Amino acid sequence: MGILNWFTKSEPAVQKLPSGSFTVDRHGRVMTTTVGSEYPQRLLDDTAREVLTLFREARAAQMPLTGLDLHFAGLHIRAREMQSGAIIFLSPQNTPAASPPAKKDRP
Amino acid sequence: MEARHKILVLDDEADWLEVCREFLSQLPSKPEICTVPTGMRALSLLDAQPFRVLLCDLKMPRMDGLQVLSIVRRRFPGLRTVALTGFSDEDFRSRAYALGVDMFWLKSDMQQNTQMFLECIESLLGQEDGGGFRDVQSKNILDVIRMELALRNSSLLRITSGRQVAQVWIQDGQITDARAEGADGEAAFARLLRWKGGMFESLPPEPGHIQTINKSLEALLTESAQMLKKAVNPTRSQQEEETKFITRMTTLAYEGAEFVVTVPVKKEDTAKGWGIQDVDQLAAWVRQAEKAMQRLGQKLNAGPWTHIAGQNLEQHLLLLPGNDRTFVISWPPKTDTRLLFEQSKKLADTWAS
Repeated sequence: MGILNWFTKSEPAVQKLPSGSFTVDRHGRVMTTTVGSEYPQRLLDDTAREVLTLFREARAAQMPLTGLDLHFAGLHIRAREMQSGAIIFLSPQNTPAASPPAKKDRP
Repeated sequence: MEARHKILVLDDEADWLEVCREFLSQLPSKPEICTVPTGMRALSLLDAQPFRVLLCDLKMPRMDGLQVLSIVRRRFPGLRTVALTGFSDEDFRSRAYALGVDMFWLKSDMQQNTQMFLECIESLLGQEDGGGFRDVQSKNILDVIRMELALRNSSLLRITSGRQVAQVWIQDGQITDARAEGADGEAAFARLLRWKGGMFESLPPEPGHIQTINKSLEALLTESAQMLKKAVNPTRSQQEEETKFITRMTTLAYEGAEFVVTVPVKKEDTAKGWGIQDVDQLAAWVRQAEKAMQRLGQKLNAGPWTHIAGQNLEQHLLLLPGNDRTFVISWPPKTDTRLLFEQSKKLADTWAS
């Protein structure tokens, strides 16, 4: 049985925290990314949308921001506003709850 | 020998402080002039020494002039206050008058009308608490009005105190209307009664003028006295609130933060700010940010959010969730970003306690 496992890719039991960076345009579309391709695209889209909304709402509140650091127990999202959108860095935090960064060809 | 009066000038611009010192040194009574660059220093100096007049700039970083004036009004009711600003803003003017300042001057006016400015300041220096109106020896406004009513006169009384002007309409021995400090009717009359002095002139009556006051003078006085009693004798909780406010402003200045805003979890509770005037828009953004963080935390399985840091060229902003409120703390741009979280946490802990 062990030899069969060698050829099959196992699905992770829990969702891994993303690691890497991606750029988005002003509409929230992901332009380039270094986040592992197994990480769901929709979650990157959701992250981009929330980040861009935060920048926009801060501007509307007369508190325009050029950068945002969103800290969670297991993840750090660093976003920098750009003229045409934003660049977003995702770094899992070094806590027991956080999984190691996603690697593409892990069995 | 009579002691020299003291004037305190508060402005964050060192050059302007020098200009003021030069201006005020021309006053005939030669008062002692002290200058300070921050509201905190002004308050501590006022605590330590007796001053007659405070000249206070309105636009300042951290604790602004309106905040200083609101504290001064409660802690030093005998201090005469002059608001100075470089901006011709009606909102500032009315807010300053609402805080009970004696005079409001634009800095440009002050430079152009130096003589008048100096006369006004000299007049404030010369006024004792409860001083009378100069036209009628030691008579206060109430005596003048009583006299008009007793004689069943009809007239328009125009009262001038510094740059403030008030009017009282009297018809057949009855007060029918008043205007003072941007207010009309009874509110204006109540404000007028708090004036410590000034000059008045009796103008021809205006019989067709609208009547907004229908109460007797005694009724107006009773109501005014009740209001004054509440203002002069704050309740224990008001005193505690004031002490807390001053302690927190001191902490803010000591730690080097620019402002603190607390946004309660309960949406119906209002946000409060220290070192910042308008907190509504910021509070609305904070509530949106909290929701965004909760959504993101759940979607990405990233756990609860611990804090948000935002930056622009003017400040670092830190949002820290607490049990019943979120703290928003602003730091100057030069603050070491590695220390922001710890410094903010320390400040939030002080606030919470």
